[in-house]
Amino acid sequence: MPARFLFLVHALSPVHRRFIGLRRADPAITLGLRDGTDPYRAIGRICRLRLGAVAAGEVWGVPLDPAQMIEDQERALVRLERAARLAMLEQPVAAIGLGSLAAVVGGRGEALQERLSVPVTTGAAATTWALWKNTVRVLERRPDATAAVIGAAGPVGRAVAELLAADGYRVRVDAKRAAKGLDVEAADGPEAAAKGCAVVVGAATTGGLLPPQALASGAVVVDVALPSILTGPAPAGVRMLAGEAVSCPPSWDPGLWGRAYQVLAGYGPQQVYACLIEPLVLAVEGRGAPYALGRKLEAATVRHFAAQAEALGFQPRLAAGWWAASI
Amino acid sequence: MTKAPYARISVDTFDSADPEVWGKVRTAFAEALGREEDEVELQHKIIEELDAESLDFLDIAFRLERAFDIKIPRGGIENTAKAGMGDEVYEIDGVLTDAAITRLREAMPEVDPAEFPAGLRVTEVAELFRVATFYNLVVHLLNEKAA
Repeated sequence: MPARFLFLVHALSPVHRRFIGLRRADPAITLGLRDGTDPYRAIGRICRLRLGAVAAGEVWGVPLDPAQMIEDQERALVRLERAARLAMLEQPVAAIGLGSLAAVVGGRGEALQERLSVPVTTGAAATTWALWKNTVRVLERRPDATAAVIGAAGPVGRAVAELLAADGYRVRVDAKRAAKGLDVEAADGPEAAAKGCAVVVGAATTGGLLPPQALASGAVVVDVALPSILTGPAPAGVRMLAGEAVSCPPSWDPGLWGRAYQVLAGYGPQQVYACLIEPLVLAVEGRGAPYALGRKLEAATVRHFAAQAEALGFQPRLAAGWWAASI
Repeated sequence: MTKAPYARISVDTFDSADPEVWGKVRTAFAEALGREEDEVELQHKIIEELDAESLDFLDIAFRLERAFDIKIPRGGIENTAKAGMGDEVYEIDGVLTDAAITRLREAMPEVDPAEFPAGLRVTEVAELFRVATFYNLVVHLLNEKAA
């Protein structure tokens, strides 16, 4: 029996909501006649995912867009809980993952976990794993570079700074608190941290922290922030790389709807974002506790997750947009 | 929470915070930011001194809503400032007008008026937020609820 998992998402845009409406055969949502806040419309399965005989999962969506998710977090929680319970009525699962703002509302997954008996994991461990490994691949080509971690006060930033420093790289963080107990330099803010650094790590969730003019000429930015860690377009000569892209093993099968979802969600046809595989790995491992929930994220947990994910054939992938990138 | 109306606190009256309300606000901040409660004080700047990132504000708002059974509107501080401005312009090309700065000083008594310089950008207002800013927002909403 494959390990079963569930991944909960919301509409990333009005166009994405129409896709969810189409998938759920809901004409009012598909045609844009409803705004997605009706509690009984278009909550359901988007696609099935399979990793050979090892794991099988489903992506379920709620039609709330980002603004609707944020404006009433309790409403968003109720929708996500309903989606999870409906999915589990059809098929029990061993782990639940959260995508985009589903991983943010309700205390970064904590409130949803209080309502469900299955481990709920936010994807932060997987995101950190991909960002860490992708940054290492860049630093291997620039061994003398200092990596500036922007957003280091957050759980992902703090953990990635710790992991890079433990690997022996020179790291500078943008907040004094983030440097506490770590062998890293501390700078006063994102601009000061990025000054003169050839490698910049965008580790904040929402981005918009670093003015492009603060980047050194020829810098490489490895970024997981959405929409971008930069406050404007990248200057000429600066490379922007997706920090969260992951390549999948040959036995990965997202099916037709899964491929459509991957493209619409911005993954492209050849890769997924790391957070998607966190509940898969959790279900396969059969561990009863999430890798990441709330603000809690330990570097040791990221290392553990990395070993589990890589044993299943997943690998962080240096990418620019949809496509593989080389340094 | 039956003691409404509560008084807002200002930069000179941090000591006058209601202990019950402040206790819950402090717990919400500590939990959202992964800190000990004694690391959170009313006068702390949320971004600069407590190292909050933008998503933490969502978490803080959610925890306050649950703790006090209130609904915190998005853009609450900015909306409060705009509400008193009538037809006056709030910002031009992202820079707050003098009228907007005057209104913000009134809406945020927990911040020293000198910290609102001419030329302040809309995006810089959040950097002025204190823990007391949320305390005052909660007090305002509790008073509204009790009215």
